[in-house]
Amino acid sequence: MNPLSEAHLKISRRQFFGKTATGIGAAVLSSLMNDKVYGALTSPKNALGLPHFPPTAKRVILLWQGGGPSQVDLFDYKPGLAALRLQELPQSVRSGNRLSTMTSDQKKFPILPALKPFKQYGKTGRWMSELLPYIGNLSDDMCLIRSMHTEAVNHAPGVTFSLTGSQIPGRPSMGSWLTYGLGSMAEDLPSFVVMTSSDMQKTCGQLFYEHYWGSGFIPSKYQGVRLRSEGEPVLYLNDAPGLDRVQKRELLDDIDSLNHHQLKLNADPEIDTRISQYEMAFKMQTSIPGLLDLKSEPAHILQRYGPDVNRPGSYARNCLLARRLSEKGVRFIQLMHGGWDQHQNLDTQLEIQCKDTDQPTAALVQDLKERGMLEDTLVIFASEFGRTVFVQGDVTKRGKHGRDHLGSAYSSWMIGGGVKPGIAYGQTDDFSYNVVKDPVHVHDWQATILHMLGIDHERLTYRYQGRQFRLTDVHGKVISEILA
Amino acid sequence: MFKWIILVSLIGIDGYSDPVDYTHEVRPILSENCFYCHGQDATKRKAKLRLDTKEGQRGNEVVIPKDAENSELIARIFSKDEDEHMPPKSSNRQLTEEQKLVLTRWINEGASFTPHWSFTELKRPSIPKTVDSNWIKNPIDSFVLQKLVRSGLVPSNEATKETLIRRLSLDLTGLPPTLNEVDDFVNDESTNAYEHVVDRLMASQHYGEKMALPWLDSARYADSNGYQEDGDTFQWIWRDWVVKAMNANMPFDQFTIEQLAGDLLPNSTQEQKIATAFNRNHLLNGEGGAIPEEQRNVSLFDRVDTTSTTWLGLTMACAQCHDHKYDPIKQKDYYAFMDAFNHLPETGGSNISAGSRIRLAKPVLDLGSPEHKKQIKTLEDKNKENKSDQQISALLAKWIAEVAKNKDFPDKEIYLAATLSESDKTDSQRSALRRYHYKKVLPTQSPELYKDSEELIRLKSDDDPMVMVMEDSKPRDTYILDRGNYESHLGKVIFNTPEFLPPMPSNSPHNRLGLARWLVSPANPLTARVTVNRYWQTFFGLGIVKTSEDFGVQSDPPVHQELLDWLASEFVSSGWNVKHIQRLIVTSATYRQSSLVTPYLLDKDPENRLYARGARFRMPAMLIRDQALATSGLLVDKIGGKPVYPYQPADIWGSLNITKERDFTYPQSKGNDLYRRSIYTFWRRTVAPANMFDASVRNTCKVRSMITSTPLHALVTLNDPTYIEAARRLAQKTLRAKFWKTSRISYAFKAVLSRYPDSEEKEILTQCYNKQLTHFKNNPTSALSILKVGDSSFDTKYPAPEEAAFTAVCLAIFNLDEALTKS
Repeated sequence: MNPLSEAHLKISRRQFFGKTATGIGAAVLSSLMNDKVYGALTSPKNALGLPHFPPTAKRVILLWQGGGPSQVDLFDYKPGLAALRLQELPQSVRSGNRLSTMTSDQKKFPILPALKPFKQYGKTGRWMSELLPYIGNLSDDMCLIRSMHTEAVNHAPGVTFSLTGSQIPGRPSMGSWLTYGLGSMAEDLPSFVVMTSSDMQKTCGQLFYEHYWGSGFIPSKYQGVRLRSEGEPVLYLNDAPGLDRVQKRELLDDIDSLNHHQLKLNADPEIDTRISQYEMAFKMQTSIPGLLDLKSEPAHILQRYGPDVNRPGSYARNCLLARRLSEKGVRFIQLMHGGWDQHQNLDTQLEIQCKDTDQPTAALVQDLKERGMLEDTLVIFASEFGRTVFVQGDVTKRGKHGRDHLGSAYSSWMIGGGVKPGIAYGQTDDFSYNVVKDPVHVHDWQATILHMLGIDHERLTYRYQGRQFRLTDVHGKVISEILA
Repeated sequence: MFKWIILVSLIGIDGYSDPVDYTHEVRPILSENCFYCHGQDATKRKAKLRLDTKEGQRGNEVVIPKDAENSELIARIFSKDEDEHMPPKSSNRQLTEEQKLVLTRWINEGASFTPHWSFTELKRPSIPKTVDSNWIKNPIDSFVLQKLVRSGLVPSNEATKETLIRRLSLDLTGLPPTLNEVDDFVNDESTNAYEHVVDRLMASQHYGEKMALPWLDSARYADSNGYQEDGDTFQWIWRDWVVKAMNANMPFDQFTIEQLAGDLLPNSTQEQKIATAFNRNHLLNGEGGAIPEEQRNVSLFDRVDTTSTTWLGLTMACAQCHDHKYDPIKQKDYYAFMDAFNHLPETGGSNISAGSRIRLAKPVLDLGSPEHKKQIKTLEDKNKENKSDQQISALLAKWIAEVAKNKDFPDKEIYLAATLSESDKTDSQRSALRRYHYKKVLPTQSPELYKDSEELIRLKSDDDPMVMVMEDSKPRDTYILDRGNYESHLGKVIFNTPEFLPPMPSNSPHNRLGLARWLVSPANPLTARVTVNRYWQTFFGLGIVKTSEDFGVQSDPPVHQELLDWLASEFVSSGWNVKHIQRLIVTSATYRQSSLVTPYLLDKDPENRLYARGARFRMPAMLIRDQALATSGLLVDKIGGKPVYPYQPADIWGSLNITKERDFTYPQSKGNDLYRRSIYTFWRRTVAPANMFDASVRNTCKVRSMITSTPLHALVTLNDPTYIEAARRLAQKTLRAKFWKTSRISYAFKAVLSRYPDSEEKEILTQCYNKQLTHFKNNPTSALSILKVGDSSFDTKYPAPEEAAFTAVCLAIFNLDEALTKS
């Protein structure tokens, strides 16, 4: 942009605020996008009475590992399994658990121990797979939950359950609840942003449905805004061909004047909302391209995320963008990465998938830590379920075997934002198949996340169809043992 | 100060005290704060106390009529002792001082008990005799005026004729009036001018399209199944049935019976069977690993929820796992209701594939013409004879071998996949190779094979429609499911209607037909109320009962219950005549008021529940698009037919391409199909049309639309090629108009807003034009770029900078608050 146009824009923008900052306009504008006052940790309560108590985190970065990473191979150390290789998994262990139709007809359920050795990491000596050297090194800061369990057996219902509290699409997602409850801290960006990526070889067959970041029955202004890696980063972000920024600014100023003219004749507050809505749209057209421009990132930071950071749409690039978004005040950043659904290719894909995610995940955490942001940023690494200890397919054939979905036990972890560092919570049986100690149900996990943001999950409700709905349905308890 | 509040609440503002009304004042308090533990769900009930029934209230001195002081309820709500106090702290519920006083007054006045209003018989209220007023045009106005007078408000003036015709046209057809229609109406001084417009619009074929829209939301209509496979369907045949039924003013009872049970009518016609697709519009999960029986139950639940929300305004879903917490719906009622839908020969997954993109679940109604069937058969025979599949496979293998040898092959992913051995390829690599070969290589390798294959796909997916419908040919037992789990059967049930509502006649069949007839029987207290409320919502933005999806105990207490009841009873006695009710609404003085919001009205009645002014709300996104198409002259107003694919961002379905079998390139339409009304836009469940913000996502039943404002909406109407092309065409039309009655700016302004701009507006737009013109004159290439947006033609009759500047002006007009709003 030439300096002249830039100066021109600034003047126009100031004029704009000169006009709207008086009267109801300012209030509407702040409720629409920016409630900065509620951003601080020691914040006053907003109109909804939130936060209910002082939060330990003011933003969330959710690193969604779609497909269901195998906890057997990565997080849930079971040294005893090696001796049971290819022996039949006792029926008593499996009883009562539903399987997907991909293995429910299987005649045999032979045990397949972890493909690669585990090793101890950090001062805590936490056991994790040697496939995750970078994530392993976070273990002193990490709270590893090995006793997650869910009700779903398939992907879409499972993800929907984890992110909205119900297996059937139609409820608001976690990010929508949070932005509805806490408002925005961002000046010129939406407060709930979503990015998706899939493994480089595109082995995964899972889709990321829009309802994973939808607002369900609460107003759609709380839905997640997806940043795309190809084409326009946000749909319809680019100006019409032939209309440059200065012209567009002038055009918006004229629309603004005409709407203000109407507002003089008609006191409908909707007109004011419209005025703010258009101004925010204009601001996003500038802020988003700036956000995506990585020129200002020093080489050592880019290197930290690994070579894949240079590929738009990669998990690594999205991790870096997540850090940039969190610096800009975005409240909820949801990365959705696919590729963990290893039914038939665990032996060939697991290692590749770990390489794609391990280094960038750790880089993001390190970046936040260096900036002093890990204290009030909750980073979550989670999935819809885990995988079975028994093998699916033909273990003698390369690229022809893996593990089926398992909802009764899986692992996830959290770092920062008031979570207790360096602990492992919960325990599974010897086959990593059932939780035997300190279970964490999906609704408990959700309640705990809300708690860290200063929200009582039973009190953040929205009335619809005659009922007060909440993220955790009518369940969920805060797992206070994992809070610092 | 506090004492004053109590005093005011005791005596009422107007100086005399109305007795407390149980339905509107007391039950909502009890329901919200007490019923969760002291309501109808026995499993959650605490202290064996019920407060939702009269017997429960009167037992154990909980409520002693005329003696609040000794009533346990009052003692508990005022108690300072934390263990005694109700509601308990743990419930997160708290009564306000005012609510406590209401309960006290209610008991002292005798603790009257009335059943929840919407569950009681629909009686026709008498029309209020208000002061003789020539404002009143029909009984609606008498009800409205009575309440206005009591609240110290007066009706607003009638809106201007320009506003009225735009409002009527948008409300009844979803399209703005043409300039001639505006002028004709403004100049028509006959006494029935307004009614003539109403009649003309109601007779228009576009009326059915407009009225179908909320019904499609309610019926969760879409053109694909959702979930991973997201196969396309032919359910648009049902959509056309709806538009046709609306246009024919099919009585609502018939409309109901045919959609729920048309197949069960004696000698049912093909049209009646098509109607039953209503309950086959649900999601269908083809995900690998999905358990069919589980999915089949999900569909059953969906049919119960959709049917009960649409006709009864009941949230039956709450009774799936346990007795309803608030409404008297038992878990048994839920499953007895579900039995009506449980005899369909369905598996829970899809079992018909046609071409590469169609995925259906039986039962279906095959509507392909014999001629097309013959063409398909001929082609299939030919393929079999030629062993076309094997030939294509051989050509594919040959090509893969060539690619593997060609290090410089331009597509790296394809090259990589080709080099792998057959067993090392992943499924998606295999399908990527197959798709690439089929689309880009086969046409030159063997044009004939390609042509035949394409022709067969086209015939099967376009010309051999099969609509998914209802059918009762599979006897199945229905059980109460423990906590809604399809694997845990409790007692067996057969179809019955919920016990708390008037029963079906004893000779009624216990199936869908019995259900449908019961819904529209005069004894049913809900259907007519729920339906007219939704009509009201269409015109006023909010229903008389705001919670149009819920008429249960927790619903919004209506300010105008008598008006609603009168309309409902008029609906039934008119023979469920839809146009009659809608005509009453739009010809009322209430509807015809100006929608001007004054600070006074905003303060007195922010939501306009008393109707001292006309309705003003942002139009649904579909109508905003239709308006742009219509005013620019681009609209192709053909009724019905296959869905179309107007402009969408490139690669909008790209994320779906990871599924194995088909190509998810967005097949953007060409020519006329780019400019059809939004109702015909292909609705893909997993990726809804990107420019239809705020619409129901059509996954589940939705009867109340949510109108919110996010900056993303503004980005659509400013930057979507749809709007830029429309602005360009409106500019083109304006500049080429033979003569302008006023200026060009006034012409374009009026084309969209049906009125001329005032002098200030004209001045701003003139300046806008001049500023844009300067820019475009300095940069003529950018003028050409904006004029090339969209597929429709442009000529060079006018200098490009002028035309581009005027395009910008028209884009501004499309984006005015007033243009986006129905006022």
